[in-house]
Amino acid sequence: MVRVYQAHSYPGESEESKQRKLTDEAIAEIKSIEGVLAVSPAYEVGGEAKLGNKTGYLQIIGIDAATMELMDFDVDYGRMLNTSDQYNVVAGSRVIDNFYDPRQQPDRVKEWEEGDPLELLDKRVSVTLMNQRQQKRIYSLNVVGILSAKSLEYAWSVFAPIKEVKKMRDFSLQGMQGGQAFPPGKEIAVPELPRELPSKGDDQYSFALVRAQDVSYAKYISQELRDRGFNATSMADNLDGIEHVARQMQAVLGGIGAITLLVAAIGITNTMIMSIYERTREIAIMKVVGASFADIRTLFLAESSLIGIIGGTLGIGLSYFLSYLLNKYVGAMMFSGMEGENMFQISLIPPWLILFALIFSMGIGLISGLYPANRAIKLDPIDAMRNG
Amino acid sequence: MPLLELRNVIKKYRVGKEIVTALDGVNLSLEAGEFVAILGTSGSGKTTLLNVAAGLEKPTRGEVVFRNVTLNKLKEWQKVIFRRKQMGFIFQSYNLIPSLTAEENVALPLLFDNVPPWERMRRAAAVLAQMGLKDRRKHKPTEMSGGQQQRVAIARAIVHQPRIIFADELTGNLDSRTTHDIMLSLQATVKKQGQTLLMVTHDRDVANYADRIIFMVDGKIVSEEQGRK
Repeated sequence: MVRVYQAHSYPGESEESKQRKLTDEAIAEIKSIEGVLAVSPAYEVGGEAKLGNKTGYLQIIGIDAATMELMDFDVDYGRMLNTSDQYNVVAGSRVIDNFYDPRQQPDRVKEWEEGDPLELLDKRVSVTLMNQRQQKRIYSLNVVGILSAKSLEYAWSVFAPIKEVKKMRDFSLQGMQGGQAFPPGKEIAVPELPRELPSKGDDQYSFALVRAQDVSYAKYISQELRDRGFNATSMADNLDGIEHVARQMQAVLGGIGAITLLVAAIGITNTMIMSIYERTREIAIMKVVGASFADIRTLFLAESSLIGIIGGTLGIGLSYFLSYLLNKYVGAMMFSGMEGENMFQISLIPPWLILFALIFSMGIGLISGLYPANRAIKLDPIDAMRNG
Repeated sequence: MPLLELRNVIKKYRVGKEIVTALDGVNLSLEAGEFVAILGTSGSGKTTLLNVAAGLEKPTRGEVVFRNVTLNKLKEWQKVIFRRKQMGFIFQSYNLIPSLTAEENVALPLLFDNVPPWERMRRAAAVLAQMGLKDRRKHKPTEMSGGQQQRVAIARAIVHQPRIIFADELTGNLDSRTTHDIMLSLQATVKKQGQTLLMVTHDRDVANYADRIIFMVDGKIVSEEQGRK
């Protein structure tokens, strides 16, 4: 199964003058790129939010409700947005963690714990937005669904119909000077600044979400978007870097493995040769008593294969143990603060690898045993008996 | 027709730069059911004669014929089958496998002949009982006396009912009392089963258990006489 990653494009944030604006025209253009399954323009606003007695910060993303299913949105509880929704929203599974109760003693450091996402369902959240003119407006949002916990990309945001979020954004941008937002009281006039930022009425989107047909397309699409002057990032891009590092690590570990393997094979060969020296007499007896070449060869190859299998089994056991330790301690350390420990296994042993390792170690044993077995065959029983 | 026939067999060894003639034109013929002893001092070539006769060594010249088959012309794997089916071996130093019990040692030739396990063990137990070792079946060689070990070795040599048994100084490590016991039971066994026994020894007393005694000196058969026991 191919895990599908979304290519999220956030154009309009770069300061390059070549920067393409994210207009309806651009959205249509993106849609025409090969491998694009769905595109939704998006607005983004953030503001202080209240949920009952709790307060927090909410990042609200407005997207086209019609594309949500194609974008791989999925709800665990409640329902998905539909096109007739207005101030209804669906929340990411971890949005609840943004809220805290201000009445709690501030000096008592509360241990971080996961909130129950269901706490948000069917509740009203009021979001306070403030624009540059120091005007305040409170929006009341109704949470109708909680997104699937499986999607980490969407876990910390709230998704709302695009029309409403556009209104919210337009309000929050009111009062910007030359399109540039400055903190109140620190206004510096820089009229020569060539920058253009979206102001009221401008139909530039904050960003667009692009869903690729599969991972390989995701890489291609984000590259294509960058070539066309958009600023695109995707999980797949990160994947490239991670894969590169992983490949390098695999190469290094593989190298160490290969050397270990060689030493082990020589070890088995040596053990078998010593064992044949020790048992020269026994081999001779067996030959005189009627053992054929094939019998002797089978005997020694079976022994060396068995050494290989025992070694392989011990190795697999040790690997499981190390893998367990790695996941439990190193993995937990690396991903502390993120929930769902099982999701972040940094070491994973697929079942086929176990079978492969067993067969491979048996094969190594077999190959290591070939030379000693042939020596055993060539042994002259008369000489061997005499020396005894 | 003789069971085994050596025709003008010559065997030469290279020892360093010297060439030693171990067998110098030996002619010998063994009838089925015959017990023949080869008597000679060490270095007379008697052990070489035994090895060549058993097909363990190739003669430099001459022929070894077992019934209609010329042994020295067979391939190694054919000789293996021959040994497995037709020949039994007894050595001076017993040559039992130390990690196996008496019973398992005796069953070894049957193992290589692909006899099923229960049948192997049954036959091994029977032969051990015949050799008077009924309650030693499960013992390892190191837990037995020399005489007992040699009896196990004899049992191993006869368990597959070979036509011919080769014995090399089989009493060399045994005291005279044990030697007497073992020679008597071996004699009785081969007579009862009609097997041929070719035995090499330097001991005149031991040779006397045979039907026929052949004297060897310097790789040649010099004389022959009847055994007296």
